Amino acid sequence: MIKIDKLKKNYGKLEVLKGISTEIGQGEVLAIIGPSGSGKSTFLRCINMLETPTDGQIWFKDQIITEKKTNIMKVRENVGMVFQHFHLFPHKTVLENLTYAPMKVKKLSKAEAVNQARELLKKVGLADKESSYPNRLSGGQKQRVAIARALAMNPEVMLFDEPTSALDPEMVKEVLDVMKSLAHTGMTMLIVTHEMGFAKEVADRVLFLDEGLLVEESAPEEFFSNPKSQRAKDFLEKVL
Amino acid sequence: MNLDFETIRPSLPYIMEGIPTTLKVVAVAAVIGFILGILLSILKISRIKPLNWIADFYTSIFRGTPLVLQLMLIYFGSPQILGIQIEAFQAAFLAFGLNSAAYISEIIRGGILAVDKGQREAALALGVPYSSMMLNIILPQAIKNILPSLVNELISLTKESAVVTIIGLGDIMRRSYIVGGETYKFFEPILFAGLIYYVMVMVLTILGKVIERRMRRSD
Ligand SMILES: Nc1ncnc2c1ncn2[C@@H]1O[C@H](COP(=O)(O)OP(=O)(O)OP(=O)(O)O)[C@@H](O)[C@H]1O
Ligand SMILES: [Mg+2]
Repeated sequence: MIKIDKLKKNYGKLEVLKGISTEIGQGEVLAIIGPSGSGKSTFLRCINMLETPTDGQIWFKDQIITEKKTNIMKVRENVGMVFQHFHLFPHKTVLENLTYAPMKVKKLSKAEAVNQARELLKKVGLADKESSYPNRLSGGQKQRVAIARALAMNPEVMLFDEPTSALDPEMVKEVLDVMKSLAHTGMTMLIVTHEMGFAKEVADRVLFLDEGLLVEESAPEEFFSNPKSQRAKDFLEKVL
Repeated sequence: MNLDFETIRPSLPYIMEGIPTTLKVVAVAAVIGFILGILLSILKISRIKPLNWIADFYTSIFRGTPLVLQLMLIYFGSPQILGIQIEAFQAAFLAFGLNSAAYISEIIRGGILAVDKGQREAALALGVPYSSMMLNIILPQAIKNILPSLVNELISLTKESAVVTIIGLGDIMRRSYIVGGETYKFFEPILFAGLIYYVMVMVLTILGKVIERRMRRSD
């Protein structure tokens, strides 16, 4: 579904991604882990072109999205993203957060958008919050709304950048549960996370990034019990 | 100090008839300034350098010369610039509108830059086009943050509108000056004009506070 070929990204002289290649199949759940500054966020943000790669190619289905002539807005409609700090629209209610893009971008009627938004809010357990403003919600609730907002565009892929890192510990589970059930629906997911337990349980594959390189790529059982590279061993020693 | 309001009392209504003129100039200039200010601020934050230059140049011209000079250039220069003599009202709308656009664009630019850049990314990630993102996501948040500065701009516009006197518009200022000329008493009518300006500014100040409080409630 997504194919990434020798992806490179520099910020000025700083090489953040040094040539990453991988393929992601439909319905696959990927956990992307690695030390701070290794380029995980940058990698994720290249996939929906929030960052423009310096070199290399990314295919989304049969389109090369790194080419200039590709309409990246159209691609983004199909690629949902969830951020560490939620980025809900603070001047819109929860319901409006969920209906805005579908109405504006997909030209859904208000009734359709509202119906769909209510459906999604039910799924993330926040049906009673539709008329609240984001600042009235807890961190965990905000993140569940943010997930619902991304899902409202009916994307084929979901990108998560440390979705639970900004949450109080007691709220991590409610968000992970939503993500888990999303994974069970067959959604293709790329998740940057520090939640090793979650990665082990939910991911089909683990990508281990270090210093801009894809150092290791394997099934979670394999990766966590028997990491091949020294860097992965060191990293796991620190976090586990 | 001896004040004699008796002599000018019959003329007080005449001075007060200048209020609509002042308000009209302020209101139209504020609308022009606000809309043009938004457009300029968007040019200023554009990634296309020449657009930044154009907007910055515009601002530097209107900030770098006296307002009264701009007003006179537009009014007295209109036959040479446009080939027709424009009316004093039109000149006032233009001069004040163009001038306050320069200031308002700076305020809005600051407001836009102060909006969390995650907002922009969240909108883009949803496939929202740039123009809608600006209009529906960024600007509403920016304007909310800069509301106090916008009210300040409206207040200085109200006070500075007094320079339209120079091109013969019958605003509060000019009328009080005329009354002074007719009664040979300048102090009292101009003091009265001062009172009117002060009340108008206070009303704006209170209005601004009320709106601000209401907005904060939605936080
Ligand atoms: N816009 C930018 N301009 C310059 N340097 C950047 C920019 N964004 C990221 N970097 C640098 O790129 C490197 C990789 O950053 P990135 O955010 O991708 O790391 P990460 O793996 O997500 O780290 P973390 O776990 O802390 O989120 C870091 O050294 C960072 O300072
Ligand atoms: Mg990161």
